[in-house]
Formats: sequence, structure tokens, C-alpha cells
Amino acid sequence: MKFTKLARLGVVGILLSTTGLAAQDLDTMTVAELLPLAQAEGTVTVYSFTSRIGKVEAAFEAAYPGIDLQGFDISSTEQIARLTAEAQAGLTNADVIYVSDAAVVLPALLEPGIIAPYVPPRVADRVPTEFKSPLLAQRLSTKVLMYNEEANPDGAPVDSLWDLTREEWTGRVVMVDPLQRGDYLDLMTEMVLQSDQMATAYEVEFGTVIDLGEAANAGEKFIMDLFANDVILVGSTDDVNAAVGGLGQDNPPIGFTSYSDRRDNEEEGWALQVANDVAPAPGIIFPAVLALSAEPNNPAAARLVIDFLMGDETETGGPGLAPFYVAGDYVTRTDIPPHPDAVALDDFTAWRVAPSATAEIRADIGDLILTLQ
Amino acid sequence: MVNVTMRAKGRRAYFQQGTVLKIVVLAILTALIVLPLIRTVVFTFQPETIGAWGDVLRGRLSKNLFYKPLGNTLLIGGIVSVGCVLLGGFLAWLVVMTNVPFRRTIGVMATLPFMIPSFAAALAWGSLFRNDRVGGQIGWIQGLGFDVPDWLAWGMVPTLIVLTLHYFSLAFTIIAAALATVNSDLVEAAQIAGAKGRRILMGIILPVTTPALVAAGSLCFAGAVSNFATPALLGLPVRMQTLSTRLFGMIEVGQVGRGYVIGILLVIISGAFLWAGNRFISGRRSYATITGKGGRAKRFDLRAARWPLFGVAMVFLLASTIVPMIVLFASSFAPSSAKLFSGWTAHYWVGTSDPSFAQGIPGIMHNSDIIRALTITLALGVCVALLGMIVGLLVSYTTARYREGWMSAAITQFSFLPLLVPGIAFGAAYIAYLGAPIGPFPALYGTFALLVIAGTAYLLPFSVQTGRAVIQQVSGELEESARITGAGFIRRLAAITVPLAIRGLTAGGILIFVKIVRDLSLVVLLFTPTMPVMSVLAYRYASEGFAQFANAITVVILVISIVATLLASRLQAKSQPWLKD
Repeated sequence: MKFTKLARLGVVGILLSTTGLAAQDLDTMTVAELLPLAQAEGTVTVYSFTSRIGKVEAAFEAAYPGIDLQGFDISSTEQIARLTAEAQAGLTNADVIYVSDAAVVLPALLEPGIIAPYVPPRVADRVPTEFKSPLLAQRLSTKVLMYNEEANPDGAPVDSLWDLTREEWTGRVVMVDPLQRGDYLDLMTEMVLQSDQMATAYEVEFGTVIDLGEAANAGEKFIMDLFANDVILVGSTDDVNAAVGGLGQDNPPIGFTSYSDRRDNEEEGWALQVANDVAPAPGIIFPAVLALSAEPNNPAAARLVIDFLMGDETETGGPGLAPFYVAGDYVTRTDIPPHPDAVALDDFTAWRVAPSATAEIRADIGDLILTLQ
Repeated sequence: MVNVTMRAKGRRAYFQQGTVLKIVVLAILTALIVLPLIRTVVFTFQPETIGAWGDVLRGRLSKNLFYKPLGNTLLIGGIVSVGCVLLGGFLAWLVVMTNVPFRRTIGVMATLPFMIPSFAAALAWGSLFRNDRVGGQIGWIQGLGFDVPDWLAWGMVPTLIVLTLHYFSLAFTIIAAALATVNSDLVEAAQIAGAKGRRILMGIILPVTTPALVAAGSLCFAGAVSNFATPALLGLPVRMQTLSTRLFGMIEVGQVGRGYVIGILLVIISGAFLWAGNRFISGRRSYATITGKGGRAKRFDLRAARWPLFGVAMVFLLASTIVPMIVLFASSFAPSSAKLFSGWTAHYWVGTSDPSFAQGIPGIMHNSDIIRALTITLALGVCVALLGMIVGLLVSYTTARYREGWMSAAITQFSFLPLLVPGIAFGAAYIAYLGAPIGPFPALYGTFALLVIAGTAYLLPFSVQTGRAVIQQVSGELEESARITGAGFIRRLAAITVPLAIRGLTAGGILIFVKIVRDLSLVVLLFTPTMPVMSVLAYRYASEGFAQFANAITVVILVISIVATLLASRLQAKSQPWLKD
């Protein structure tokens, strides 16, 4: 296998030198220029934080026959640990990294040079600057409070996050263990960062000034109360979805999950809906970023994958973007219209995550949660 | 190479026979076993990681990071080892000393559970008893309309039951072997003196078999405290942590320093109990005087209790072997484990990708990830078996032929060291050891070689044991005469020892193969997405809620394990003295 790869590299080398492309940076190549190089590479490996990579794999291989996309569904937290370990070992497994959790990705992966940015020239002028640097954001994803629409046809059963600490929700709030999934740790961290809003919401809900007790601030107080109220921790968002959204429940639990998982309501038999009006905010909205590994084994194919994931020139971005053009995901390309079934981004009340502020206190929040479990 | 031979020639004048061989073997064992462990300890004393010791042992995190998991771990170890000794001892007594019906069947079935990976039993438990506490699929019993309480579905109770039903066969094997050697003269003397059954049991049989009971208890303890799969699958959903799940969780999220510290403490605990057990036994060597060749005493006549006791034994045996197998098999066909025996579909085996079914995951015959994992797992099994038998043979040859000297003692000690190290801690040690380049050698993280080397090292106690048994069969005289004719070490090994011992070696190799193929705890940390193995894939599917795929993969592992084990026992015509009449 090594030898065929070497042979392929040889072919690429000859191609490069004879056509005089060697000088041209891969980063500025068009799709048409990348394609023959990518086909010579023949394969490309993607670490993805979403299971939708399976659908991308099929679409990509149909669009570019002859290039085998190997997609691996690995949570952001695990990707960071694995990529760090692989870099220490001087090993490159992944070509493309599709990850959330920017708060850790920037200091842990981008700064030490484990991953590198790439913005496909084709779409560069249609992505706002804030989503091109330091890394390319493909879309905004969410971790927000969702409820069962079937059991609550008149809207969310709660109007404040603080409701979740009341006795009627004991053992009936579901989320993924924040120590296992960075997105959820970011959610908890954001609550601490937004302590002022949390304190105000407490006063509105209970009519008294918050008594912090052992907590340092209102955010921490909320987290401690939530855990004291027997919050159920599960292993994956699909477990949250099934528990909260499952049809035919009299008294379903409520939980934090991805707004976009509403897309699977019909297929999976769920009735998930976002509790957008909950005070002070239903949760967080954060970028899902695309990057190259610092020295990809298949540099041309890797760039082709990122180009593909940014969507084609059809109105809603074609097959590459199809798995992500769903209600609850907010595509960053300005020329793609927002999904008609979702709350408009401007009306969506979730907090925008600020990576650097999150990074600062995130480890402490992790330790706090460790003491609560 | 040239260098080595030259030195080999040169040393004859200065060294005793076998010194070079001993040095080579000692170097191999040091590289395979001692250095990884030292490297892990050193890692935790670096300036940036030394704080982890404080986090784990004192301070506000320590309760959840260490002391609560430690409490759970010790509770599991204690109850499981007592349960295993009682259950294993009861069955051994039935088979060896009584006239219970179908003794032979009971004897064979009691050795089976150990062949089933412990995560298979945990998965089967989930398929039966899962309730709706944590969402996802519910189990069969809840599906029938019964309410399964949380304590029966999750956490400590199911963990204890599953582990006891897994490890009791280890206790059975040890205790049955010991009971089979109880000198009948003693029993007959007691009978003549008018002692009744109970008194014989308490006064003779129990004291005589005490070493075996202690050995069985401490081995079951060590196994239970280091088990990863069962508490991970049954305990984590309700936040029940043991040291091994904590270790895994910490390394998985990149808090490596804390993970290693927990790993080191786990090694110390499990090692301490094995050591204490050993001490106890060797302190009571006086009992070893009870040997000699008395005939087998008359079996205890159970009279009316024959069939009831047979029934009790079968309940445990069926629950630990047949039931999990049936459940796993059925649930790999059933779309929902709530309805285990209806609406079967072969999709999880042979289906192609269908977006509306299981998030588009194709059945395992069409799933390139799983096929790749199967190939890698089988290749890993074969490589570890081969390499393990080579190293095992080398080690046991060296210690058998050149017994004297501190080096031989060190070789013996080192080769059994992995027994004291839980698999998951051993995996962690290997990441610390080979996860970064050492001098001119590249890092092996994520390579097939790392899996092979770590697997070989981890299973060395078993390959050395096999090697030793085989070497002892081949008389030293044959070798001596070959040496007189001038045959070198490699030549002697290749022309005499190996051909004569090939059956035993193959059987031993197959058992090593089975052990690595069904292993989860060692490989769960060494796993990388591009180098997948079956057991980890099954674990990941299970923790992501795709129980059917997990169960289907486990069925494949089970079939491979069982076929290979049967093959091995045919080859070595396993000696089970307690089955002889």
C-alpha cells in the first residue's frame, strides 16, 4: 500500500513539474485544477464531529468518482485529543478536520500548527470575514433547550432556564456529559460568562435576589442546582433526542441538544422543538469549522472536500451542503438563503460563543462539573 | 547482526553458558514491559503534569476523580471475588465431590463464561434490562410491559451480577483442580472416625483447599477491579465511575496527566491484592505436604438434593452462557430490543445503506469500517499469537535451561508482571511509551505495530506459561546431545524443541489469539479511527445507541473465539483431571 502511494506521489510530482504548476500554490487552485491531482491521490480522510459525514461521503464519491472519502465520526473533544496525540507521534491520519469547539481548537490545534486554515477561492467572496478567519466556518451549529412538541402543543413547558432547577423537573432534564462533549462544556461555560443575565432571570423567575451560597456567580449556581436536581447525563445527542423527542410520551423530559436535529423528527419518530423564548437564552450558537491538517497526505483531495462542503453554485448549495441545509443550521455563505422552517438567525435568542473568553475559564468549569458528578 | 555473532563467539571464554541469551531475553522484557511502566510514572512527574497527583489525591476534585471511583472499584472487587469463590466453589464441589447428575456437562459449561468477552455479557444485560431512564432503546423486559427499576437496569447491581457471572469460571477452574487433588485418605479417615459430611467439609476439605480459594479470590478481585467494559456500559449512564472508567474518560478528553496518575494507582491496588494473595498462599506452604496418591474417595451422596442442586447449578450456568448468547444473537436481528423475538430483519447483517434506517449505517457485511476492523483484528490476533509464542518460548527456554542467577529470577518476575497491570492501564502506559518518537525510532501511535507490540507484551504471562509447559515436555537430554554435535541455539530450537512441541505451541498460540481478539480494555485506548479493531467498534456503537450493530459485531467475535477455543482444546487434549472418574 505504501508503495502504490509513493507511485502516486511520483505521478503527482511529474504532473506538477511538467505542467509548471509546481510554483502555483494549491490554496489558489480552482476545482478544475485540483481535480486531476486529487484523483491521482485517490483517497482522502475526514475527521468529522457530526455523523452526517456518512451522507457527505456518498455525495462526494458520486460527484468525484475515483476519490475514496473515508469519513470518521469523532466528537470534537476526542478529535482534539487524538490530533494532539497523533501530532506528538509525528503522524498524520486525517486530511480534513471538521470540528466545533473553536474555544479549544484555536489554542490547541491551530496555534501549535497541527491544523491549517483553507478558504476555497471559489466561495471566498461570499463568506463574511468573521467566518473566514482564523478558520473557515461552514455553518453555525447550536446546543439549545428542546422540548417535545407533541406533548406540549402550546409551546415550551418552561419559560426560564431556572425552571429546570425546580422540583417538577427533577430527573427530567437530559443532556450529554459536558466532560465527554466539548460543545456541552461550552454551553455550561457560556452560562457562567453570562452570569449577569442568569442573575436577572433568577430574580424574574423567583422574585428574590439570588443567594449564591457556595457558587462564585449565578452561572455556577445554576450549574450546581441543575446537577443537584438529578440532571440525566447521556452519551450522545441522539440519546437526548430520543428521550426528549420520542412520540407518544405523556410526560416527556426536556433537554439540551442540537436545534438542527429537528430535521430527523419524521425519520426517527421525534417531536423536537426549540424553546426559543426561554429566559435568558435557550443555549449557545457556535461555528462549525473546516481545516486542513498541517501536512495532509492528500493535499489536493483535502481541499476538494472543503470546497465540496461549502456547497455548489445551485440555490441551496447542492449535495455537498444538503446534509447541512436544514432548519437549525445556519450556513455562513451569504448567497444561500436561510432555511424557511427555522427561526431566523436575527430572532434566534441563543448566545453567540466567544472562543477566547470561553477558552479562559473552560477548564475551571470542567473541574467544577467534575466535583458535581 | 555481525556484531552480535562476533560478541557471541568472543564471550564463550568469559561467561557462563547462556549469559548472552539471558541478557538478550532480559533486554526484550525490559523494553516490552518494564520501560512502558517506568515511562508512565516518569511522565506524571514532569513539571506540567505533577499537579495531577495533587488533583487526584487531595483537593476538591479528588473526591470525584479518585476516592468515589476507588470506593466503587473496591466494592466491585470485594463482592465479585466473594461471589465468584462461592459460586465457583459450589460448582467445583458439585462436580468433583458429589454424585450430582450430568457432572460432566456442568464441568464443561462452568469453563465457558470466561470464553465470552465480558462486554458481551454487559451488552446482553442491556438488551434485557435497559429501562427508559437515559433515553434510547428500552430492553426486552420493559418492552413486555414490566417496569424495570433503575437499580436493576443500571449501575452497581448489574455490574456486580455480570462480573460475577463472568469471573466465577476462573474460580471454578482453580478450585476444581485443587479439590481433585484432595487426598482421599484424609476423607476416609474422617469417615471411619465417624465424621459427618459437614464436619468433613469444614474440617478437612476447606482447610486443604484454602490456598486455592485465596488464589481464586485474589485473581477474581484483580480481574473485577480492572474490568473496563462492564462498568462503562452499565455504570456510566448513571454516573457510576470506577478507576478504569475514570482513567479512560480522562485520557479520552486529553487530561492525560490525571489519567496516568489514576492508572498508576489502579496498578498499585490490583497488584497489591494479587501480591497479598500470593503471600498468604506461600506462607501456608505446609499444606503442600498433602500429596501422595490416595484413591478418589467415595462421592458424597446428595440423595434427594441431587436434582434440586443440579437445578440451582443450571440456573447460574444458563444465565452466564446460553442466555447472553441467545440475547445477543436475537438482538442483532431485532429492530428494537424491546421486541427481541419479533419483526426480525437481516438489515444489521446484510443490509445496504438506507438513510431512514439507523442513520444510514449499512449492515456489517457491507460496512467498510467493520470489514476493515475484522481484517485488522484477525491480523492482530495472528501476529500477537506468533510473536507471543516466539517470545514466550524464548523466555521459558531460557529460564528452564539456565535456572541459576539473578537474571533468570528477574526474567521470571518481569514476564509475569503484566498480570498485575489492568489492561486499560497497560494501554495507557504504551501510549506514554511509544506515543512520541524515542531517539531515532519513530512514534508508533496509531500504527498496527503498536497494537501488536502492546498485545504481545500484555499477554506474555500466558505465552510464557504455555512455553514453559511445552519446554518441560521436551526432555533436556535431546538437546544436550544436539549441543554435543555442535548445533547452535537457533538450530537446536528449530530442529528439536519446536517440532516436538508444535502441537502445544499451536494450542497456546490459538488461546493467545482468542484473548487478543476479544480484548477490549487493552486496545480501547490504543485504538485510532484509521486502525480500528472489532471490540472497540462494538463498544463505540453500543455507547452511541446502535445496539444491534454492537451486538452483531459481538456475535462475530464470539463465534471466532468459540471456534478457536474448541480447536485449541482438541489440539492439546486439555487436561481436566476433575472430570475423570
